[in-house]
Amino acid sequence: MPFNQKPQKFNANINTVEIGCGDKAIKLGGENTFPFYTFDAPMENAPKVGVEISDMGIANIPGIQNYYAGATTMAEIAKKAEAVEGADFVCLRLEGGDPNGADKSVDELIAIVKEVGDAVTCPLVVEGCKNVEKDAELLPKVAEVLQGKNALVLSAREENYKAVGAAAGLAYNQKVGAESAVDINLAKQLNVVMTQLGVKAQDIVMNVGSAAVGYGFEYVVSTMDRIKGAALSQNDNMLQMPIITTVADESWSVKEAMASEEDMPEWGSLEERGISMEVQTAAAVLASGSDAVILKHPQSVATISKMIKELM
Amino acid sequence: MTLFETVFSGNDAVYGLTEGAINAAIEQHGADKAISFPNTAYSLPCYYAVTGVKVNTLGELKEALGVVKTLMTREMRTHDIFMSGVATALCAEFIEVLKYIDGATPYEEPCYGHLADAVIRELGVPLVTGDIPGVAVILGKAPTTEDAVALVKSYQAQGILVTLVGDVIDQLTEAGMKTGANVRVIPLGKDVTSVIHVVSVALRAALIFGNITPGDAGNLMKYTMERVPAFVNAFAPLNDVIVACGAGAIALGFPVITNQEGVSEVPKSLIVQKDVSKFNATSLEARDIKIKITNIDIPVAFASAFEGEIIRRGDMQVEFDGSRVDCAELVQTVDASEIEDHKITVVGPEADEMELGSKNNIAYVVKVAGKNMQPDFEPVIERKFHNYINCIEGVYHTGQRDMQRIRISKDAFNAGFRIKHIGEVLYASVKNEFDAVVDKCEVVIYTDPAECTRIRHEVAIPTFDKRDDRLKSLTDESVDVYYSCILCQAFSPSHVCVVTPERLGLCGAVSWLDAKATHELDPNGPCQVITKERPIDERIGEYEDVNEAVQKFSQGALQDVSLYSIMEKPMTSCGCFECICGIEPFSNGVVITNREYAGMTPLGMTFPELASMTGGGVQTPGFMGHGKHFIGSKKFMKAEGGIERIVWMPKELKETVAERVNQTAKELYGIDNFIDMVGDETIATDPEELVAFLTEKNHPALSMDPMM
Repeated sequence: MPFNQKPQKFNANINTVEIGCGDKAIKLGGENTFPFYTFDAPMENAPKVGVEISDMGIANIPGIQNYYAGATTMAEIAKKAEAVEGADFVCLRLEGGDPNGADKSVDELIAIVKEVGDAVTCPLVVEGCKNVEKDAELLPKVAEVLQGKNALVLSAREENYKAVGAAAGLAYNQKVGAESAVDINLAKQLNVVMTQLGVKAQDIVMNVGSAAVGYGFEYVVSTMDRIKGAALSQNDNMLQMPIITTVADESWSVKEAMASEEDMPEWGSLEERGISMEVQTAAAVLASGSDAVILKHPQSVATISKMIKELM
Repeated sequence: MTLFETVFSGNDAVYGLTEGAINAAIEQHGADKAISFPNTAYSLPCYYAVTGVKVNTLGELKEALGVVKTLMTREMRTHDIFMSGVATALCAEFIEVLKYIDGATPYEEPCYGHLADAVIRELGVPLVTGDIPGVAVILGKAPTTEDAVALVKSYQAQGILVTLVGDVIDQLTEAGMKTGANVRVIPLGKDVTSVIHVVSVALRAALIFGNITPGDAGNLMKYTMERVPAFVNAFAPLNDVIVACGAGAIALGFPVITNQEGVSEVPKSLIVQKDVSKFNATSLEARDIKIKITNIDIPVAFASAFEGEIIRRGDMQVEFDGSRVDCAELVQTVDASEIEDHKITVVGPEADEMELGSKNNIAYVVKVAGKNMQPDFEPVIERKFHNYINCIEGVYHTGQRDMQRIRISKDAFNAGFRIKHIGEVLYASVKNEFDAVVDKCEVVIYTDPAECTRIRHEVAIPTFDKRDDRLKSLTDESVDVYYSCILCQAFSPSHVCVVTPERLGLCGAVSWLDAKATHELDPNGPCQVITKERPIDERIGEYEDVNEAVQKFSQGALQDVSLYSIMEKPMTSCGCFECICGIEPFSNGVVITNREYAGMTPLGMTFPELASMTGGGVQTPGFMGHGKHFIGSKKFMKAEGGIERIVWMPKELKETVAERVNQTAKELYGIDNFIDMVGDETIATDPEELVAFLTEKNHPALSMDPMM
């Protein structure tokens, strides 16, 4: 019997969200198939890859240090990040703002955001410091200083969505990330309250949370899978926002990517381990339904963007 | 004069002034002269917001005035009052923009006049988040300077943004009070027309934050009414112009509170409050503004870290003990007019009038009022008291209803903690946690022994009895809706609990009343209303509406469930169940075991072994997870015959549920002491021995129809 292909058609789409301005603007989402099911229907927009840089400077990894060699100011670092092979956007992470860490002031961080915003021409994503109170203060200022750049501000969370959503989504016309912790209902609830606040569904990108592969990753797969399922097969428009995943953050903070070579000689090169964790995690979240990933190592960025091209 | 005449006359007067001023300006500068407010992209913001037309020159301003004239209808309906109010406001904007001709700076310190777009974007965020809970517009001259200062300070303390128009500005200057955007007190201007600058803020906020299309006047007013928590305090004497402006405010949904006597009041909109010191409370109530309490005013710490703190007799200053003397704790729903928010009264001796180490009476009644408050929520709120009082450093609480026990430590007492502070804690916690239903809250604490006896026996116990009766009368048939609970989906993605009055959530923690309250407090949360209008099969409790809800909340993983059957389409289980019930083939009945029981059951499986095949959100006919309380329910596997089928339970569980099970068995089947027919681990864990025991007891399950 001949094989009869029966495409799985959905009468619903993931929203298309544009980030950035001009030629380099990118579109996230838009698909009406499961991830990379190009045999069902063409994927509207290829998933996008971003390069993470931090206000805390260049990570102490030889390959990353080499790549950014010579860049001293945040503007120079950002320009280099923008030029990474396969990069679609730059993500500035303001981890130094964490009150339990470097606790940099909002003014200091905003100066960095401005410097980076002026330096790059590619779309910009800015990630807060993850402390909900500090982010509630910091991210509205980020949205303000980036007026006109159509940036994506990460993230509004349940505790601070009003401040972040109102500033980024309403007052300063940016795109807003909605972050929840690997739970379809919390993701949906946040989207509901954000839209009730007045933020347009088309201005929201979800960060539904992640883990490095091997660290309870099945929860991530199941959450993303169910979100895409509900969005497409049940036409649930409170789950049709594209998904962005901060992979660098998760994959470089697990023991495989941190244990030193002295402690774990049998594990081999630390850098290779980190890249491996980053590439595996990124590939897995993309296959589970993420529309964009944020990575740190130039080699990971190149690898994943090549993977996407070949799968499209 | 009627309100109509006053508003119309004020409107006409302002219109006349505006027309004159525009004509004079055209004569002086010519019709092509450009006009604008500084630092705004919204032209004349109010006119633009209402009509969608931008005005750029004096000539266009004159045309716009023609449009304003069309709003000034005189047909003696309330609509005419509102529209004349809006017309008055627009005229005020026109008069004000003329002041800015040629880039003039008509306003000087401390007055602000027109506010830039950037200020609105900045103020808009805290307004949306509720950090600025409201906007007060104070207009005119307060009876005394002290009144003016006290009123402004009261709003400041609540984080409310205050804008000032007229003589009140001079009064504050005279008192040496600091003003400015940084202290959230913004003097606009001395002329009454400068009030338009705050209206302009509200309307631009609607355009910026509400995505309102300029010219969509209907949605504009809906937005300001629903989302801009502004209100007006207008001091007597009021003239026609002020009343006409006030009509404009009311049209936008902003109530006007005045101390002018003889004004015809409009409920919720135009309110006379003769006592200026009560402007704050009256305004907040009229505009439904709730103030978040961030700091509880007590001399010791308040945090969950102190929840587990135990106070030994030697460390104790005084104690209150409901098991020895009359005590009570109670939430009472009352009408808003009966109570004063944040009033805390102690009736009887304070802690410093009690002997060291003594045992005393205490009864606290927390009176709450709110539009969305329902008596059904009273026990839900009350149950939190234990947690609230325990979070106080140096205070410990156990028990509930009229059996509570409280100890205050010597340390807390020496730090200044008194009984009235319990009131502060209850007030703040209830207002914060239950803000969706509680608008006003007052606490009365009785320590006088006679009063405590009265409160306990004449107020509290009758209330508890009434509530218990209500709980007993709550049946699946007597309510119109059930609730979903998907709290556990994080780890059991396709599980949905359908919570009914007679079948609480399987975790045992979510009753129908809890689910109802959860839904009211968090409308987008885990508990959603499920209607039950289209029954499919009453016997097993299957409804089309319930099936649809389950399909939706499980994202399609579950198609249909029954509420009352363990064999046909049983409800799924997450993993939090207190108990598991499974069929026991030898006796034709069911065995129940609970999480605490570690031993073997006649099914040859322990609780964890049973749990592994019952959980995970899948339907497993023959097994179900449930709460302990469900065991005594008349709906417990009703489709298969009900609790008559229970043949075995761990001894401890049997003792816990004995009373209710016996009562239900008596009612349903006329069996006395049914629990004695049920086996336990001290009788048998082997199915054959169990059957022997059941046969000896003549257990009804043995002669019932086969379950399979």
